[in-house]
Amino acid sequence: MKKHLIGRPVPRKEGRAKVTGQARYVDDLVFPGMLYGATVRSRVPRGRIKGISFGEGIPWHEFTIVTAKDIPGENYVALIAHDQPYLADGAVNHSEEPVVLLAHPEKYLLEEARRAVQLEIEALRPTFTIEDSLNKKEIIWGEDNLFKSYSVEKGNVDEVWARADFIVEGEYRTGAQEQLYIETNGMIAVAIPEKGVTVWGSMQCPYYVHKALMALFGLPADKVRVIQSETGGGFGGKEEYPSMIAGHAALLAWKSGKPVKIIYDRAEDMAATTKRHPSRTRHRTAVSKDGKLLGMEIDFVIDGGAYTTLSPVVLSRGTIHAPGPYFCPNVRIRSRAVATNAPPHGAFRGFGAPQSIFALERHLNRVARAIGLTPEEFRRRNFIQPGQTTATGQVIRENVNMNHLLERALVLSDYHAKTARFARENSGQRRKKGMGFASFMHGAGFTGSGEQYLASVVELEATPQGRVRVLAASTEIGQGTNTIFSQIAADALGLDYDSIEILKPDTASVPNSGPTVASRTCMVVGKLVEAAALGLQQTLVGSGYLPEGYTPAGFERACKRYIESHGPLKSSSQYQPPPGIHWDDATYYGDAYGTYAWAVYVAEVTVDTVTFEIEVNDFVAVQEVGKVIHPVLAAGQIEGGVAQAIGYALYENVVWNEGRMFNSQMTNYIMPTAVDVPPIRVFFEELPYSYGPAGAKGLGELPMDGAAPAIVNAIENATGVSIHHIPVMPESLMEALAVTEKAVERA
Amino acid sequence: MQAFEYAHPRSMTEALPLLGSRWGETEILAGGTDLLSLMKNYVVTPKRVVNIKGLRELRGIRGTPEGIYIGALVTLEELRTSQPMHEYPALAQAAAGVTSPQIRNMGTVGGDLCQRPRCWYFRSGFGLLARDESGRSLVPQGENRYHAILGNDGPAYFVNPSSLAPALIALGAKARLDGQNGERYVALAEFFVIPKSDAERENVLQPNEILTHVIIPEGAWELSSATYEVRQKEALDWPLATAAVALKMQAGKVASARIVLGHVAPIPWPAPEAEKSLAGQPINEATAARAGEAAVQGAKPLSGNRYKVQLARVAVKRALLAAARPRSIGAKGGV
Repeated sequence: MKKHLIGRPVPRKEGRAKVTGQARYVDDLVFPGMLYGATVRSRVPRGRIKGISFGEGIPWHEFTIVTAKDIPGENYVALIAHDQPYLADGAVNHSEEPVVLLAHPEKYLLEEARRAVQLEIEALRPTFTIEDSLNKKEIIWGEDNLFKSYSVEKGNVDEVWARADFIVEGEYRTGAQEQLYIETNGMIAVAIPEKGVTVWGSMQCPYYVHKALMALFGLPADKVRVIQSETGGGFGGKEEYPSMIAGHAALLAWKSGKPVKIIYDRAEDMAATTKRHPSRTRHRTAVSKDGKLLGMEIDFVIDGGAYTTLSPVVLSRGTIHAPGPYFCPNVRIRSRAVATNAPPHGAFRGFGAPQSIFALERHLNRVARAIGLTPEEFRRRNFIQPGQTTATGQVIRENVNMNHLLERALVLSDYHAKTARFARENSGQRRKKGMGFASFMHGAGFTGSGEQYLASVVELEATPQGRVRVLAASTEIGQGTNTIFSQIAADALGLDYDSIEILKPDTASVPNSGPTVASRTCMVVGKLVEAAALGLQQTLVGSGYLPEGYTPAGFERACKRYIESHGPLKSSSQYQPPPGIHWDDATYYGDAYGTYAWAVYVAEVTVDTVTFEIEVNDFVAVQEVGKVIHPVLAAGQIEGGVAQAIGYALYENVVWNEGRMFNSQMTNYIMPTAVDVPPIRVFFEELPYSYGPAGAKGLGELPMDGAAPAIVNAIENATGVSIHHIPVMPESLMEALAVTEKAVERA
Repeated sequence: MQAFEYAHPRSMTEALPLLGSRWGETEILAGGTDLLSLMKNYVVTPKRVVNIKGLRELRGIRGTPEGIYIGALVTLEELRTSQPMHEYPALAQAAAGVTSPQIRNMGTVGGDLCQRPRCWYFRSGFGLLARDESGRSLVPQGENRYHAILGNDGPAYFVNPSSLAPALIALGAKARLDGQNGERYVALAEFFVIPKSDAERENVLQPNEILTHVIIPEGAWELSSATYEVRQKEALDWPLATAAVALKMQAGKVASARIVLGHVAPIPWPAPEAEKSLAGQPINEATAARAGEAAVQGAKPLSGNRYKVQLARVAVKRALLAAARPRSIGAKGGV
């Protein structure tokens, strides 16, 4: 029996189908008699619907028209709270809110019809900012505009201020960000009242869609079927919103009796679907003169948009990551997710952590400067050590060594020599160079008790030919699920890569292995794949058909004999928390995550202080992620995440106009391209994690967390100006540089 | 996109009668890099689209005694790499400034000159002049970080998006416009106009005319020229400010200068004060900086684009310094 796949860059499981064009994305699917669906949306951010009129010149009798009145079950998107309607009924709470659905066989006529529907909406005063929402200028949600608040207490923060040698305060802000997956959102639905509802589409979480459709149609689980089609990227943007589109397509299909396809174009996808939560973080930090953190008070607020969606859990992750990989005996975190009349913000790679980590890693540079230490020395004195506790009281049991990661990153980036050289050479230059870094961590899997509630299940089934099928709802969205599951299952069973098959996620045939989010697919679901594989092996060994030291041929013979005499050969595995894990939802105390990935990222930048152009010239990403299952996919995740974070830091500016995204086109929402991205040098440290498959942890979101603060710290190092918000636009850099119009270009 | 009739004429005689006499009825398709997105976003909804890619007479670059004729269908990539353009660095650099190879390979010279403004209001269906119900422009107090800092007395606040126009104007180029009644020639400096109503366009082209050629006058090869663009990002984006300069140098001093700014005004914006400041001067840091200063003298930034004044000033300075550097290929003139 051989184990040889984990740690090797095997070809992607679905790679051939993708590069040869055989992979079928939702818009490649065409059903007989299919209609196209479109969504009529509110342009008013907040108001009361007074009437809907259908303009002239459109053959309305040919159209299927759906409003809230046509909904057979509940008019809400079932997720956490039940506040977001599928179709606005009476009130609208954000621009782009869906009000009417239309379907017609002719795409072009459909678009004209969509433009001919007039919504008469009596406008109410909207709320657009975190401040206005907190000040309750208008009550737009619940009693106090708060979707959720948390408070974390460790030690006694109140008594540290009096004995602190330094108290440093700061406020930091981050903007919204669009996920920009290559494939826009889309769904096809077939819905027949007697038979139930089936949808095909681009998604991360088939069982989220399943749950939402059950409520929308009032159907039992077995009458709703959700099938993932090939999915071109997600980044969190296909976590919750596909439930909305699936419901819309299904409502049109239900009423028309025909299959209905809804595909968003880029502009609709950018404007109407979820984006990253904008944030505001305030820090107040007490430090001793020997550079030790004494107390941290953190006020973290995110803008959730008009409905709850996933804001409580985004807030939770952002809150727990807010104090970073440091030890501080006294911590108070107060965090709030507030309502505004923007389209709901939602899941996006990092899930709250990039926001709070940006604030912390900018703030700690300010603290270091205030007490006269270098950023690296200040961090060395405060990195969390094994045996110490986090803000939620989690004892670090693994052999974390942030100091080592920091030293390695500084050496690999030539940090010390370069900072010294740049300091010498920058003087008198209009183009100034600088180095900056950030130290951070990312918890893998759901927060707190989340994984226990999910209780994910994976099933493996062997065929008489000795092939093994993995049955899971975890989706391949470009990140490599199919490939790593095959590696894990094959190595656990000592089989070849090609003898593993991954079944397409389809709620009619795969168990619920949970959503494909939260850096959990490899670590949590991969572990279930491994356990189910070992279970399969045990069954065969127990039956006496599988000898010790078997070959793939021996495995095939054993499967054949087992199935002939006992019937189907299956094995399933359900999530069990690692021993010793405790979490209290009420007090927000305990082991927030089974484990964390740890990292230090270093950026080198050039800032043109005359034209405000910023280039990232070099990037070093050092991280400890447990065992690396697939080195090429893993490095690809890091490089992609860093590139996405470069966009977050420097380019991707969601501009709001009366609560609508004003630049919802790729010509005006600017993302980095290959020429804007530096060489990203990726280095892994591998400390096997006992409860991950072959020792692996999660890493998908990690790279999104640290690159933006590293870059802004480097801008500060280059220019001496401190920037507290991202994205850094030329005009904000100009303000920071306090360039007057009379300034004359030097050199 | 709204359904439309598609015409694919093979000659100018076939093409011209297909064009409508009013704006909005027909649109001309060449590279399509701008038109398709305008149509997809319902900013324009033509009844007929006339594809002129079949008009062979609009292809190619050729030298004539009057100057260089550049066909409207010449792609930006052809322009950038063509041998004659080595004599006109400002133009080759402007073409190279369109940093997407895909756009350079599809986009044409005629399309670059006739593309519509990138103004977010215009592209979001607020109309060319982005006025509210009372007729006031939404731009001066709105999202104007990329809008005009010069020539912005209204009613237009957008910036001319052409990459090539500043360089072509600096080189003294003219456009040939063909209509059913024959052709006419317009200096490119006179081609662009500031519209006074939403019904007008940003240039003097009539709805039933085609811009067929651009002509760089004989003798322009003697000029030392350069284009400098300031941009936020290297690829797939428009510059924030551009300056194109063409200098006639005599014994190391400026005999005459043309300086034209791009992306700062509703039309390519000439800078006569800057030109005057250089008369009889050598090009060096000090004179170039002074010209940059003079170029933005009349700038009136809007609420959110003060930074562009600085960028325009720097663009002029850097373009001048670049033009004064000896050329590596086909060097003629220079200092």
